[in-house]
Amino acid sequence: MKRLSATLLGYVSAVLLGLLTAGPQSVTAAEEENFCIICHGEADIWDKETLRFHVTEKHFGEDMHWELGLRCEDCHGGDPAEPDFRRAHAVDADFRTIKSPADVAGFCGRCHSDNQYMRQYEPSPRTDQESMYWTSGHGQRLKEKSDDKVATCVSCHHKPHGSGDTLDEPGILAVDDQESPVYATNVAETCKTCHADPEMMAGRTYGGNPIGHDQYEAWRQSVHAKAMFERDDLSAPTCNDCHGNHGALPPDVDSVANACGSCHTKVARLFAQTQMQHRFQEADLPGCVTCHGKHDIGSPTDEMLGMGDSAVCTECHREGKFGATPAGARKAKEMRAGLDDLKAQIEEARLLVSKAERLGMEVSGPRFDLRTANDALVNARTLIHSFAVEPVEEKLQEGFAVTTEVRQSAQNALEEYTFRRIWLAGSLLPILCVIVLLVFYIRSRPQPGTGPAGLLAPSADDRELGPVAE
Amino acid sequence: MVPLRSQIVAYFRERLGLDSVEALAEKKLVPVHQETIFYYLGGMALFLFGIQITTGILLSLYYKPSPDQAFESVQAIMTEIDFGWLMRSVHSWSANLIIGVLFLHVLTTYMMRAYRRPREFTWITGCALLGVFMAFGFSGYLLPWNELAFFATRVGTGIVSVVPGIGDELLLLARSGENVTGDTLARFYALHVVILPIVAFGLLGVHVFLVQKHGMSVPDRVTARHGSPRAVPNIRFVPDFLLRDMVGWFLALGLLAALGALFPWELGEKADPFGSAPEGIKPEWYFLFMFQTLKLLPSHISGLEGEMVGVLAFGAAGLAVLLVPFLDRGETPSRLRKLLNLLAAAAVVFFIVMTAWGFFDSLQFQLALGGLLFAGVLALAGATLEQSSAGRRLVFVLSALSFLVCVGSLVWGLQGG
Repeated sequence: MKRLSATLLGYVSAVLLGLLTAGPQSVTAAEEENFCIICHGEADIWDKETLRFHVTEKHFGEDMHWELGLRCEDCHGGDPAEPDFRRAHAVDADFRTIKSPADVAGFCGRCHSDNQYMRQYEPSPRTDQESMYWTSGHGQRLKEKSDDKVATCVSCHHKPHGSGDTLDEPGILAVDDQESPVYATNVAETCKTCHADPEMMAGRTYGGNPIGHDQYEAWRQSVHAKAMFERDDLSAPTCNDCHGNHGALPPDVDSVANACGSCHTKVARLFAQTQMQHRFQEADLPGCVTCHGKHDIGSPTDEMLGMGDSAVCTECHREGKFGATPAGARKAKEMRAGLDDLKAQIEEARLLVSKAERLGMEVSGPRFDLRTANDALVNARTLIHSFAVEPVEEKLQEGFAVTTEVRQSAQNALEEYTFRRIWLAGSLLPILCVIVLLVFYIRSRPQPGTGPAGLLAPSADDRELGPVAE
Repeated sequence: MVPLRSQIVAYFRERLGLDSVEALAEKKLVPVHQETIFYYLGGMALFLFGIQITTGILLSLYYKPSPDQAFESVQAIMTEIDFGWLMRSVHSWSANLIIGVLFLHVLTTYMMRAYRRPREFTWITGCALLGVFMAFGFSGYLLPWNELAFFATRVGTGIVSVVPGIGDELLLLARSGENVTGDTLARFYALHVVILPIVAFGLLGVHVFLVQKHGMSVPDRVTARHGSPRAVPNIRFVPDFLLRDMVGWFLALGLLAALGALFPWELGEKADPFGSAPEGIKPEWYFLFMFQTLKLLPSHISGLEGEMVGVLAFGAAGLAVLLVPFLDRGETPSRLRKLLNLLAAAAVVFFIVMTAWGFFDSLQFQLALGGLLFAGVLALAGATLEQSSAGRRLVFVLSALSFLVCVGSLVWGLQGG
């Protein structure tokens, strides 16, 4: 019994992480010929200690490997047609087990690193997951420090199946399945499992600094999380977009701007061309995050620019830290003043357009042009990352030109409205005059019953044409 | 040597038979009495119809009846065409005024009992004209292809589908398909600029001919006061009545100018047939009483569909209005006439309440509009009663009270808002 338990221990530990290899088989293949399922699916042969080896079809949940037709032997090897469990689990039957977390990446990578094999399932498969894993913080720690608590494939993707009494394991789901732990909206929650656990993170460092456990909470406050959860923007960045997924690692100080630049390309390009980037490098300050924050990146505001109390420029330029100069402070103030001015002008133009609209005037053209002015404002804000006044000013001038036109058009519409009202009200005057003249003329004419020319006594002829009250 | 002017006049006189027209104008007389003012409503409606034709023709020079271009063409009319905004605003306001004037015309004609023998067909053609002008309004409402008009038309045309037996066919006829589409727009345009004008001109011709043929009706109480119809004082149609009529026309013109200046007709948002219906969809004010009623009716009444019952009831009421001259035939007051008058009063109250209810969402403004309409109708009714009679005084007091309710509610509403 002891020998049986030992063999099955190895077997089941493999089952827990496997089913990622081998070619597709028909799902409808007769499972009664599969002795893996026959033995492991038989509840009665397992006692309390070995119950974890009990695996039935139900334990696979919605696992995509199982659904694609992959079976036990595709991951674990062995001989499913062999009724004798010793021969079925024999080494010469290529039986494979996972003895420790360090085996997981290789176990999954047996198929997932095989480009030729994976092409059966998609034309351009990604097969660098295992190699990337060993470059990640997780992989390095596992390899170098034998830290068996770090994340492996199954930590994020789930196991392909449960065992024993556990029937609520969903199996490994496709990445684009909304229920998958690595679906865009679930990634942060998945990382949080370990990275928000103070006990798990206690004593763990990266680059000599504690890793901490507040990243998730900070990210949830960020503009990125708001974009993802409040605006349902699936392209908004979550953990893996900045840190990588299989090769997860914090970006180096010098490469932070590149991480942000993978989405904010224009800003990153501008920043890369500035003196400021070199100053940051010299001062060992990371780009982007120095001003915008790390995980809790807020929505950028114009108040961040300039030398006010809320401005980030103040941090260095007020006291000349890291070689910051008063000239830089002046530039910051100048750019901020330009932005404020354009904002005010856009608002003024918008109010005029709205007023004209409310009055029933047609101002859809100026309304549309306001977008151009807003675009100029957005572009000017982007150009702030050039840390030069001229390009910002150039873009602001474009905005000023548009707002001037819009204001003029709205003003014209309002004047036109006034003109119409005056014109129409003016038309009332001649109309009124005509009415008054008519009334006077009517009164000047003989009135009914006042004389022979006025009161026309009905005659016999009138019966045909006049008022006949029958 | 005969002067040139006389030669020209003689030329046309001979060829156009102006002598007989002159003779007719010379002899045409209009009775003068307390209620003569109501005679001007017909002329006012005719004048507004003339404005509709003129502005309608001008608008049709630029309007493009297709879903892709209708909205944009009306937008261009309002912004790019010289005085296009004025034409559209006047056309829209005039359309509403003409229906208001026609409602009053029918109401005052009823109050004067001017439908009596031999004017039954004058009444019927008049009522038919009211229906035709309401159809003008309904079809014209869709033409700018804006959001409100689109969905209101969808609701409005959808109502005919509940007519038993032929509902589905009527719906297809109205929409030219199952939904309101470009085909519906084309159909409504044809109805608005071709079919309805032909019908309107035909009916109007008969109506004016019959008015001319039978002359103006004099209310019984006026005849009784003077002893005989012949004793009622008259004025010549040309120029005396015509001059007074012109005062009414210019008043209408002034009202149009004031409305156009104060409340330019808006264009709204372009219709999106695949979009969801915006809130507050409602038809033009003259359909509101029916719309509001159908909205309030329960889904089923005595096992029948509520909307169907409502539509049938309105149809029956319309038929009853047409048949009034045949129901009220006697010269002396009868129980049937009393019943008709009661029903007519109830119909007016119903119209005012439902219109005010449907027009505004807030109670204060509903009361204000209802009060204003009641004040107006009561003032009209008072004008038909004997001078210095107790009934007349009572009606005028009620009218003043209604007006006070209107003003009070308006102040209440504006303060609350």
